[in-house]
Amino acid sequence: MTLAFDDRSERRLLWRNRLATWTPRLVLLPTLIASVVYVLVFTLWTFWISLSNSTLLPDLSYGGIKHYVALWNHARWHVAYTNLFLFGALYVTGSLVLGTVLAILIDQRIRAEALWRTIYLYPLAISFVVTGTAWRWILEPTTGIQQMLRNLGWESATFDWIIDRDMAIYCVVLAGMWQASGFAMALILAGLRSVDQDLVKAAQIDGASMARIYRKVLLPAIRPIFLAVLVILLQFAIKTFDLVAALTGGGPGLATNVPAIYVYDLMFQRGQIGQGAAAAIMILLALAVVLVPYALYTIWRQRREAAHG
Amino acid sequence: MTKDLPRIAGAAAALLALTTGAAVAEPKTNLLHQWATGSDAAAIAKLGEMFAAAGGTWEQTSIAGHTANTLAKLRADVVAGNAPPAVQLKGPEIAEWNATGMTANLDEVATAGNWESVVAPELLPVMKPAGSWVAVPMNIHRVNWMWSSPKAMEAAGVEAVPATWEEFNAACEKVVAAGLTCVAHGSFDWTDATTFDSIVYGMDIDLYRAAFVEGDAEAIRSQGMIDAFAQFRRVVDWMDPGMPGRPWEEAMAMMTNGEAAFFFMGDWAIGTLNAAGLQEGTDYVCTQAPVDWGGNGYILNADSVVFFAQDDADYAEGSTLLANTIMSPEFQTIFNQAKGSIPARMDVDMSQGFNPCQVKSQQDLAAAIEAETLVRSMAHNMTVPQSQRGAMMEVITEFVNSDMSPEDAANMMADAVEMN
Amino acid sequence: MADATLVRDFDPLATGSAARRVRSKALVYALLTLFAAFYLLPIGIVLLNSFRELPDIARTGFFAVPETLTLQPWREALTSFCLAGACEGIRPFYLNSILMAVPATIISTAFGLLNGYILSMWRFRGSEWVFGFVTLGVFLPAQMTLLPWAYVLGNAGLTNTIWGLILIHTVQGLAFTTLFCRNYFVNIPDDLIKAARIDGAGFWRIFRKIVLPLSPPIVIVTVIWQFTGIWNDFLYGVVFSSGDRQPITSALIALTAGATSVRHHNVEAAATILAAIPPLLIYLFGGKYFVRGLTQGAVK
Repeated sequence: MTLAFDDRSERRLLWRNRLATWTPRLVLLPTLIASVVYVLVFTLWTFWISLSNSTLLPDLSYGGIKHYVALWNHARWHVAYTNLFLFGALYVTGSLVLGTVLAILIDQRIRAEALWRTIYLYPLAISFVVTGTAWRWILEPTTGIQQMLRNLGWESATFDWIIDRDMAIYCVVLAGMWQASGFAMALILAGLRSVDQDLVKAAQIDGASMARIYRKVLLPAIRPIFLAVLVILLQFAIKTFDLVAALTGGGPGLATNVPAIYVYDLMFQRGQIGQGAAAAIMILLALAVVLVPYALYTIWRQRREAAHG
Repeated sequence: MTKDLPRIAGAAAALLALTTGAAVAEPKTNLLHQWATGSDAAAIAKLGEMFAAAGGTWEQTSIAGHTANTLAKLRADVVAGNAPPAVQLKGPEIAEWNATGMTANLDEVATAGNWESVVAPELLPVMKPAGSWVAVPMNIHRVNWMWSSPKAMEAAGVEAVPATWEEFNAACEKVVAAGLTCVAHGSFDWTDATTFDSIVYGMDIDLYRAAFVEGDAEAIRSQGMIDAFAQFRRVVDWMDPGMPGRPWEEAMAMMTNGEAAFFFMGDWAIGTLNAAGLQEGTDYVCTQAPVDWGGNGYILNADSVVFFAQDDADYAEGSTLLANTIMSPEFQTIFNQAKGSIPARMDVDMSQGFNPCQVKSQQDLAAAIEAETLVRSMAHNMTVPQSQRGAMMEVITEFVNSDMSPEDAANMMADAVEMN
Repeated sequence: MADATLVRDFDPLATGSAARRVRSKALVYALLTLFAAFYLLPIGIVLLNSFRELPDIARTGFFAVPETLTLQPWREALTSFCLAGACEGIRPFYLNSILMAVPATIISTAFGLLNGYILSMWRFRGSEWVFGFVTLGVFLPAQMTLLPWAYVLGNAGLTNTIWGLILIHTVQGLAFTTLFCRNYFVNIPDDLIKAARIDGAGFWRIFRKIVLPLSPPIVIVTVIWQFTGIWNDFLYGVVFSSGDRQPITSALIALTAGATSVRHHNVEAAATILAAIPPLLIYLFGGKYFVRGLTQGAVK
């Protein structure tokens, strides 16, 4: 009798243990399936399409690397791919620097901190479809800053970057920084606040100036945060689409084309789905250039931390 | 099997409709189009009203902005196995989609409506790319208009609107000497290409046909094209530096208020001119863009609606009704009075309610058909496939916004066309 | 790391002489004001022009002191402005956006919480790989996923339905919400969970009794991130909705493209601001938690 009872309770325990191991995996399953479809299947499908004969509609017959050849023979793609790196580098470093400056300024025990923070953070809340129009008005020489300065009596004032093919990309960078630097500020500020305050006090007692404390103590302490900001900004940079579409439409000429616009244009406007897919794969490749070193760094850091306990 | 079910059901429903009388199928449609705002939207709303008045259930999917948005929507729907019943598509796109075998056959309605004899002949191969009607035209736009400012011309001492490119160059020099801008322009790929359409066509109509209608790379590489680019460079040099990204309405305002003398744009400009209360003759003058070969020229652009085959009998019935409504003289009149274009039907009476430029457009169209000078527009996607047109427009807009030489431009364009 | 302090407990500028302190404070506020002007300029311009008369704008441009102020553009934007083929203002599209953004935000946040909980406290062999793999979803360009999504929605019978859009935004959001929540939960001390397990608490009980009560900051982060992201997307809205069921941002792209009809800049300005109100409100009220939540989550 007791034996049977024990057996049953043991079995129940066993069953419960099994359930305990399997519940988390079962709950995770929908996400895993969704991710396999979304990340893996979608990417492999696109890769296959980039090697297929697809034009107007997806066509799965194998066509070789002709779309990649055509892509790299296309002057516009060179402009777009170069812009990705130029824009990416300036936008990411610019947002990072601006975000750091703002975070440090806000960190000075200022009044109405929440208000300042909201002012710098709000651009991320509004679609660029909306704010792009406003930026266009501001940068356009005949309607914006230049016109205003001239109306004020400074007849020779000139600010016409947006219509200058060599300078227009910097307008895109400027508007992009405006949108994203608040986000960098929020992350960096959060990081600064999480640094052990005793460290700062110790440095202060040693007589270090504030500038020195930031440079030597606070900013180095939040290096992982900079890395995270960097990755999120790069992810934004690589996906940049509506920023350019709303601000310059890729012009003047082709000067501000970026890969995401190229992909969209070829796949849907031109009916060259294969070449558009090839361009998308090249975007992912550019992404890998950024992600692989980051992943390696993360693994290396984890190993080192594990080694040091 | 399951995939066939709706089709079988549709056929059954159609059969049912036949046996129990035509009243059973309830015509429905959902038109996918780009006329999203303002007077365009109002004109389409009128189409909806007429469709509903004829007993149909009207729905529309209006997608604003870049054409790529509409085409992305169309592709996604087709890929999802859910082709929309009616879509606003143009020129070679009609042929491309016709080749997929997914379009509906409108021959029966066309015969009943006698479309063959009333539609402008240049549009027939576009609407029936493989011999059967799959699309209906809504209008005919003229692309090679030149809008001139009497005020600016008077100020510069230009006596008559220039008729040839040589006269145009001479006039521009006077205008510039008078301290005015000669060519009002807002640079986008399509506006740049609109201007270049008129230049190539005006200088050499055979070159235009070979290069822009046939997409012949050799013609594009020829001396004629280099000369056209050289003339284009002169025209570009007469535009003011503020042109990149300027909306065309603002450029047109420069012409109507006399700051600039000439403005190249299709007749969709008429809607805005009418809305501003401006009068032809006093505020602006419309003439064809200069031609060096004398006579009457006409570069044509037409909007059209393509129909996709539907399994649902209601939608199939709706397509017939919508096609008939679009082709009705009544709709063609209302729509085109709002759009500045002229009816795609040649038999519509235009004596009432049209702008003088529109009346002139219809006369010139007839004359151009007579003289065999009518061509379709490359800039407005009526000739070569999108892949080639896109490549051509890239070169054109780069040319406008850089100091590329005419030789380089012609070569680049030929290379691009050969590749696509 | 302990709870993040929201205000420094010392004043970095409180060093040196009184005069120097005043000077540096003045400099800080001057810089803050200068930057604030840069950040507020675009919204300020839009706001200003939304109260102006059209002829006034046409005469003096977008940067000018208005001659008269009017509420008419706002009335028009709400009730009679023609967008996406209908002339009923932006109101109908508002509802579409809410019907899409609210469920997608809730579902993706709920899954994110569960996933984060599992990937930090119920780790199993390979769970780190699962995490890394799910996170990769953050990086796919939307243009690339349009056609695959069309296949998926077509086969699921969800084309041109609000549920299709909810599905897309949920799946795309999973990568972000899982990333945020997992990195947040990693900071909850293991002892807490171990003790609960020894007491016999199971998977769901620990989630309900321990994890959920600790979650509000990260919930606010994911809600802000997801809601604004979904609200502001126009591409999926354009491609995967039909008729009058478009979300508001998709309807508004009409304003960025060169339309062939006359522009009503003042009404457009009012419409764009009206469209931005929900995400702005969320930022205003959630902003405090956004900074706190991020401290503990995404950046680890």
